[in-house]
Amino acid sequence: MLIVERAQAPMRGGNTRHTRNIRCVHRRADEFTTGSYPFAELWRDLCGVGAGPGDRRLAELTVRESETVPAWMSAHGVRWQPPLAGTLHLGRTNRFFLGGGKALVNTYHRTAERMGIAVCYGTTVEDLVMAGDRCTGLLTADGVIRARAVVAASGGFEANIAWLRRYWGDAADNYLIRGPRDNDGRVLAALYAHGAARAGEERGFHAVAVDARSPRFDGGIATRLDSIPFGIVVNSAGRRFYDEGEEIWPKRYAIWGRNIAEQPGQIAYSIWDAKVARLFLPPLYPPAQAGSIGALAASLGLDERAVAETVTGFNAAIRPGGTFDPTRLDDCATAGIGPPKSHWAQPIDTPPYYGIAMRPGITFTYLGVAVTPQARVLHTDGRALRNVFAAGEIMSGNILSTGYLAGFGLTIGTVWGRIAGAAAARHARNG
Amino acid sequence: MRAMDELFNEAQRQLNICNSCRYCEGYCAVFPALERRTVLEADDITQLANLCHDCRACFHACMYAPPHEFAVDPPEILSRVRLAGYREYAHPPHPPAWLRGPARLRGRGALATAATGVAAALIVIIALTGGIGALWSHQGPYQVISYPALLVTVLLPTAWSVAVMLRAAARYWHDARGPRAGLPGWAALGKALAYAASLRYQRGRGECSYPGEDPSPARRRLHATVFYGFAACSAATVSAAFMQDIMGIPPPYPLLSVPVITGTAGGLAMIAGCAGLAVLKRHSDPAPAAADYGLLIGLGLLAFTGMLTLLLRATTAYGLVLVAHLATIVVCFAVLPYTRFVHAVYRFLAIVADNTERRRPG
Repeated sequence: MLIVERAQAPMRGGNTRHTRNIRCVHRRADEFTTGSYPFAELWRDLCGVGAGPGDRRLAELTVRESETVPAWMSAHGVRWQPPLAGTLHLGRTNRFFLGGGKALVNTYHRTAERMGIAVCYGTTVEDLVMAGDRCTGLLTADGVIRARAVVAASGGFEANIAWLRRYWGDAADNYLIRGPRDNDGRVLAALYAHGAARAGEERGFHAVAVDARSPRFDGGIATRLDSIPFGIVVNSAGRRFYDEGEEIWPKRYAIWGRNIAEQPGQIAYSIWDAKVARLFLPPLYPPAQAGSIGALAASLGLDERAVAETVTGFNAAIRPGGTFDPTRLDDCATAGIGPPKSHWAQPIDTPPYYGIAMRPGITFTYLGVAVTPQARVLHTDGRALRNVFAAGEIMSGNILSTGYLAGFGLTIGTVWGRIAGAAAARHARNG
Repeated sequence: MRAMDELFNEAQRQLNICNSCRYCEGYCAVFPALERRTVLEADDITQLANLCHDCRACFHACMYAPPHEFAVDPPEILSRVRLAGYREYAHPPHPPAWLRGPARLRGRGALATAATGVAAALIVIIALTGGIGALWSHQGPYQVISYPALLVTVLLPTAWSVAVMLRAAARYWHDARGPRAGLPGWAALGKALAYAASLRYQRGRGECSYPGEDPSPARRRLHATVFYGFAACSAATVSAAFMQDIMGIPPPYPLLSVPVITGTAGGLAMIAGCAGLAVLKRHSDPAPAAADYGLLIGLGLLAFTGMLTLLLRATTAYGLVLVAHLATIVVCFAVLPYTRFVHAVYRFLAIVADNTERRRPG
């Protein structure tokens, strides 16, 4: 067995290096989760995301198999920790691994090394060498690696800006990509070229609001902004455009990536005041700061009058008498303003004022290959490729087509990694 | 001062990324302590630096570690902050002139020179008080050097070092807990002692990732070997004093006596532990910010010369070996506040401050 890894060792593991928890069915609370999370509830949560599961049979299989995943992970060396600060709402449904995704990847690699599994680092798979419906090897810059069975676990194409442009046009130039630059969908494109069937939406991606100053690639978790529900968000014209108080964490992350992607120039500005400045995770880079709304707007490059008008109108629309409570959907709301702010609405009136420009940060894309319940890649003619399997984001479009459920990406990756790995091993042994 | 500002700015930059990420929260006390602070002042960074036991678990878990452009490496930057703190809190800022050696040597071999000087001085004292022949005696230490002379020789540098370190400790506590901070409570002290004795924060909630990426108990165990070896040697000294002054039994003591058994076990443990830690340090990946073997060599020499006095106590070499051991003690104890030994002081206080802060945030 051989792992062909595009990255060098420190950057190995694709998007998994940015994960931190996994969402699995469990029957009772334990040291690391606060309560039970039965099959029916995870299934309901999954159906509530976007348009619901793409392929119900595969989605159900994923949820069912998730129950055995934590024990399998522990058996392969993974260690756990209580939910991280500020993630209490995930404490029942999601299980956090100690140290986050890179520690997880390191653990798996140590376990693989002990099992005698070799890794080819810095090796790009350019193409699959096919003989009819069989793959005989992988084409790399160093020649063909022969294989009796192949598992494609190479992720989506979110770092391939040219590919994103096909669906999003020039807007794609303003997207920041939260994972490694290597996630360019090369293997996915090769599979399509060999006739693999598609699963998932072309425009399906998971995106969050990130600091516009973040690196173009691989900014990960640290670049996301937590300030949105504590103030207002305006677009480049200085106008509000969406209810900032609609949802509590983490759903709002997913909503705001797409919201900003749909604004002119794919940019928006989060604005808050001194009252709330210490209530959320500190931003990665220092925010713009000014003694007046006009000066803040100017330092963000926005029209001073437009922003001042927006803030005045917003402040005037706040219904009196609410009790601000950031830990729940409180009763602080606006009235007679569009769009409304339905929770956590407080006047922005206490200097200094703060602001940060935000961009959509794409976490991953959903468009992938269709698979069978054994993780075999399906051909457009309806038959399965004999020895090509897929796991992780490259096939997540079978299960989720839009929207996101925190920690479920890794559930898909782990469940399908096991299914694909076992099926590929059986195939390689039995021919 | 500019260099210090750059150091703290860099630490602030990296820790701000940590505070936006928080994946390492489960490893040790550094990250929860960081999360309790929304603004990071220099004193905060120094406190975090001394809470860090350099287990490197966070470095290996960090997706922002080099070659990532964020270049986050908390153990590295915190170890540089720690070292800067050691220099800042020591007063007087430099060891006494006689330990610094001739200026033209620029500190190289200064301690060896000082030890030779101390040994020569001791020989002169011995010759003047008991006659030069006392050097060849093997009837116990006081045949070589008188009890009062020995006591003064050892206690002077010890008292000096303790005074310097107490003053540094007071300043550190003041900075870590604020000007109105009272003395630490007994509960916080006791808990900190237990944490320090078990090296709780070097485990990173599992084991230390040192010297390489794989979790390994090697460093924690070797550190415990040195620490408890040192404690056993101290016990040997105390028990010898007890036998001599309370029970009235003069040295030398038999092989199966408390001082000899604890001294032997402690000395061997220190030698083995120091050697092991030095080997680990040589192989550590990434290399420490400033590799410094001084303390390990010093402790190793203390134990080694101590063992020699035991092994050779029935020979005519005993007197000279005792002089060598005493000279090593004088120099090592006098220079203590300027070595990595002070990590024990600051790390302990950092844990006390952390325990206090956790009970009463802010």
